[in-house]
Amino acid sequence: MKMLKPVLVVLTGYLLLKFGIPFIGSQLHPGTWPVVPTSVMKMYMFFLIVGTLMIYSFSEEGYAAVIQPAVNLYVDPARGTARMAVILAVGALGAYVTYQYVKPTFDAPVELRSIHPAPPSSVKACVKTYQLQGLKNPFREDKASFAKHVEEGGVVYFQNCYFCHGDRMLGKGPYYDGFNPLPANFVDVGTIAQLTESFVFWRIATGGPGLPSEGTPWVSAMPVWHELLTEEQVWKVIMFLYDYTGHSPRVTAPVHH
Amino acid sequence: MRVLFSIVIFSLAVIFGFAGYTRFGLPLIIPAPPPQEAKISGEMTMDQFIALGKTVYEGKGTCTLCHNSLGRAPLLEQVAQVAPERLADARYKGEAKSVEEYIHESMVKPSAYVVAGFGKKGTNDTVSPMPDVSGGAINLNAAEMAAVIAFLQDVGGVEVTAQIPTGEAAAPAAEGAAPAPAPAADAKEALVKFGCNTCHMHPLIAEGGDMGPDLAQVAATAGKRKPGMSAEQFIVESIIDPNATLAKGFEPDMMPPDFAQQMTVAEMNMIVAAILNKDAAGGKPQ
Amino acid sequence: MNFLIRFLSEAPRVALAAAVAAIIGLAAAGGGEPLAWLTQEAWADESAAVEEKAPEAGQAVEGATAAAESEKAAADQPAGWAPMAAPKLETKDYPIVSGFNSRLSAWFAAQLHLFFAAFVLGVPIFVWVIELIGLLSKDVRYDHMAHEFMKVSMTGFSLAASFGGLLAFMLIIFYPDFMKYMASVFGDVMILYALLFFAESFFVYTYYYGWDRMDSGGLKWLHLGLGLGLNMAGMALMVLSNSWASFMMAPSGLGPDGAFLGDVWAAIKGPLWNPLNLHRFIANIAYGGSLTAAYAAFKFLTAANDQERAHYDWMGYTSFIIAIAGLLPLPFAGYWLTKEVYDYSQQMGITLMGGVFAWLFILQAVLIGAIFLSANYYLWCSLGRAEASRRLYAMIQPLGIIIVVAFLIWFTPHTLIMSSWELTQVGGAHHPVLGALGVMAAKNTAVNILIIATFLSYQMFRRANIAPAGSGFWATHGTTVQAAVYAAALINIVALGIYSYFIPANVRIGLSVPQVSTTAVTLIVCTIMDNLIYRDQRALGVFRWGHMPVRSQYALFMLAVSFTWLMGLMGYCRSAIRQHWHVYTVFRDNSLDAYTPTLPFAALMVTIIVMIFMALVFFMFWMPILASKKKEGGAH
Repeated sequence: MKMLKPVLVVLTGYLLLKFGIPFIGSQLHPGTWPVVPTSVMKMYMFFLIVGTLMIYSFSEEGYAAVIQPAVNLYVDPARGTARMAVILAVGALGAYVTYQYVKPTFDAPVELRSIHPAPPSSVKACVKTYQLQGLKNPFREDKASFAKHVEEGGVVYFQNCYFCHGDRMLGKGPYYDGFNPLPANFVDVGTIAQLTESFVFWRIATGGPGLPSEGTPWVSAMPVWHELLTEEQVWKVIMFLYDYTGHSPRVTAPVHH
Repeated sequence: MRVLFSIVIFSLAVIFGFAGYTRFGLPLIIPAPPPQEAKISGEMTMDQFIALGKTVYEGKGTCTLCHNSLGRAPLLEQVAQVAPERLADARYKGEAKSVEEYIHESMVKPSAYVVAGFGKKGTNDTVSPMPDVSGGAINLNAAEMAAVIAFLQDVGGVEVTAQIPTGEAAAPAAEGAAPAPAPAADAKEALVKFGCNTCHMHPLIAEGGDMGPDLAQVAATAGKRKPGMSAEQFIVESIIDPNATLAKGFEPDMMPPDFAQQMTVAEMNMIVAAILNKDAAGGKPQ
Repeated sequence: MNFLIRFLSEAPRVALAAAVAAIIGLAAAGGGEPLAWLTQEAWADESAAVEEKAPEAGQAVEGATAAAESEKAAADQPAGWAPMAAPKLETKDYPIVSGFNSRLSAWFAAQLHLFFAAFVLGVPIFVWVIELIGLLSKDVRYDHMAHEFMKVSMTGFSLAASFGGLLAFMLIIFYPDFMKYMASVFGDVMILYALLFFAESFFVYTYYYGWDRMDSGGLKWLHLGLGLGLNMAGMALMVLSNSWASFMMAPSGLGPDGAFLGDVWAAIKGPLWNPLNLHRFIANIAYGGSLTAAYAAFKFLTAANDQERAHYDWMGYTSFIIAIAGLLPLPFAGYWLTKEVYDYSQQMGITLMGGVFAWLFILQAVLIGAIFLSANYYLWCSLGRAEASRRLYAMIQPLGIIIVVAFLIWFTPHTLIMSSWELTQVGGAHHPVLGALGVMAAKNTAVNILIIATFLSYQMFRRANIAPAGSGFWATHGTTVQAAVYAAALINIVALGIYSYFIPANVRIGLSVPQVSTTAVTLIVCTIMDNLIYRDQRALGVFRWGHMPVRSQYALFMLAVSFTWLMGLMGYCRSAIRQHWHVYTVFRDNSLDAYTPTLPFAALMVTIIVMIFMALVFFMFWMPILASKKKEGGAH
């Protein structure tokens, strides 16, 4: 029964990786369950098993305890059934792994997708060309009508954006689970909070098809809004996004510090 | 022997494990091929020129390695706007007078003005860590730098003053010195290169002119035009001294007299062979 | 030859150069007229000063001195001679030999040459130290072991030279214009390099074959002198050839068009030369140790009796300690080299760490981790030699867990490969937990803990069979103090690691220094304390060399094989970050193979090269066995 100990250690490690890390992650980013990606999990488990075997096999007794059950299984005439079961299980495992590896899948190929790719210098939208750098929200300056603009943006939001991005802007609108990549969560500090208004304008105006190649292979389903909304509507909805979430847009540091 | 065998198997398993992990466990990134020098011709529109500048800016110029949002170097999107302020700054050490000159100077003498906070460590912003882009690994030529200036002016929203180099100026810019045009690879290329098709017709060239004799007919008669001269000799003479023998019905001094200086011997041979319908080196058979 | 003088004047600053200077002095005394150079130099410097030539403008110029040197160098030459500018080659300028790919041929020859060269440069260093220890401690076993190390590496010298010759031919055949250019810069260094082989051969043969004859009294000291000479010659060879490699990565001493300015010293002493020297010097020792450990392991496994087994166990252990002693500082030498690469060219640095090669460093982390794991395993197995070590077994489990966890953190990639399903689960490409482990702050912390834990494993073995006998403060409370030191170090390293998440990136880089210092101080302080605690000691039980399980010896093979493969991989990396340049930024590679090969392709190449190398290593280790067999046959 000494062999149980290393098995338990590996199992504990596995559970920690499988549930512990996602749990911590879910506390940091509520609403997500950040699993350890398979690619990393495989390496973790490999070295976890190797490390555990090392810890339990350096001494002669430990080594015997680890290896003895396996030796017994393979040489003890009385354990023929168990032996055959193990051999079959190993074969079946190989078959399973091979099957998983070769079976057709609809998943996009695993590539390193950039969530916030570098924006282009200029954007053609609403039959105009915008130089993104230095592009400002024309309604930001007008402090007097701030509330009015935000309210108008809210109308635009709930008529167009709400269905995917949701009423609380968590990216969980009625249709959210049909998309890959998921609709952006605007409350999260990782989205609009770290972007300039001009970047957000670009992303809304040209949508998924406007993403550069770094944003592939999963082109987002975001519509090309400049074909459906006016420039003013886009700017107003941006006002609404920031006001509602309480974030403030990132300001590019002027070139001269 | 058994021990040796075990060791070999063990070692092979280890190194193939490493190689297998590299192949299957890590994402495959295919490095970009070595960069090519941009081709600039006089027929470019300003939009194309600016686009070229953008390509150089993001590609060969490697500007975005540092001039990006990570704060390694100043962002350049507004550099054209702030250039006048820079020129007026007391810390400015260069000689530029205009926005264009300022950007050019920043590329070749980056230390002329170092944006506060971006100088080399310990130099109190007097020395820039940026290399001279006209040399070293980046090695932009004058035309490429002009394209980058045009791009930066366009992005910055100021008037684009950088000029597109014309074909004549661009060619020397490509190598930094006046190189000889590349020799033609075959007869067809040679015929086009020296503009034979402007006046002559020849089966190798799709469209020819009719200001000079039809070269397709020359092969039949060249050997008989001048006593004591073979067909080859006659054609060579006609190329290097066009007025020596004039075909009936054609005016003198129409054909340039300096082909002897322009053509390489190989090109001349290819053209002669092509006129004689022979498959000379590089010439294509009929 | 004026660089020799600079070489000498630089000596106090560069620890390594001192050794080099001595041997160059020796070589020069034998082959030339050093005084003539000196006077000529003095005259030349004077004239340069008087004329006060304006220096040529150019970025690569190191200042007025260099320009003056170049004037002077040009004056030495026939009229009309000018230094060769970096050629602009075209694809057709590269010869083609059917059946041979030029880059792969050069790659094979270079890597095999480097493997053997590293081995034969590393071994004499510790052979000499062991011989000295044997002489000072009057323990003849050390002397025998040193002799045996030398014996097994003898074939390596000729193999290293053979592959060096092969490499030279490959370069001349496939890259003649490149070699011509290099010769225009390093001509006199190359001649000196070739001549130094005579010194190297002289010392290696007299040192090895004179071992038995010069075994006592003054002759023994003479023998040690020969060994020192061997190391000096080897070191000089290494630093000279390093200068070519570092020049190709970070050229110096050149004018704007890549033409050599005439000052060889400026070309040698590029920004990467000393970091490369240090890195290779340490790595050679570690590498030599790991290969001789593999040799000892093989002899251990095939030993005929207990006495032999005990001898080879001891030899394997010593080699192993040498390998680990070299391995521990290696990451820091590597950091220095990388930092200098960044300082030299940010572009090169980003290519190295952030671009195509980013995944190579994950691979490197896995390999180094594998080396650390096998090293610790060997140390834990070593406890079995001491009967009384059972009391320490309970410590291994927590130690092992710390090591494994630190290792897992160490190789966590910064960019995670995720399937689309995983991306939706994580809610983006940034993983809140693993993302924090993938950054340098976590990795630095992990590697420092890994090093301290490995040292602890070693310390554990050291005290496996002994207990303090005295009654002083150190004997009674020393271990408690040590534990406190370890705890403080651990807290300091982890706290610094956590703190570095909250400060800007430029400050964060600086924080690795106190972390490393903590590790270094802890290691040194605890070693000193060990000596105080065990000043008086008593044995707790029987200690038996040779009482080691077979699997521990496979840990040594693992060490040697991983080390070799890692070296091959990093060789690819060092060479490939030049990208499409022969000499970075100066001399473009326009051959068909100028592109950068992918990582799996490089891994395959390295694997094939390592297999060939292993076959040759078996041959090398088999030679002394063959020789001894004949001897035994004669005795019968």
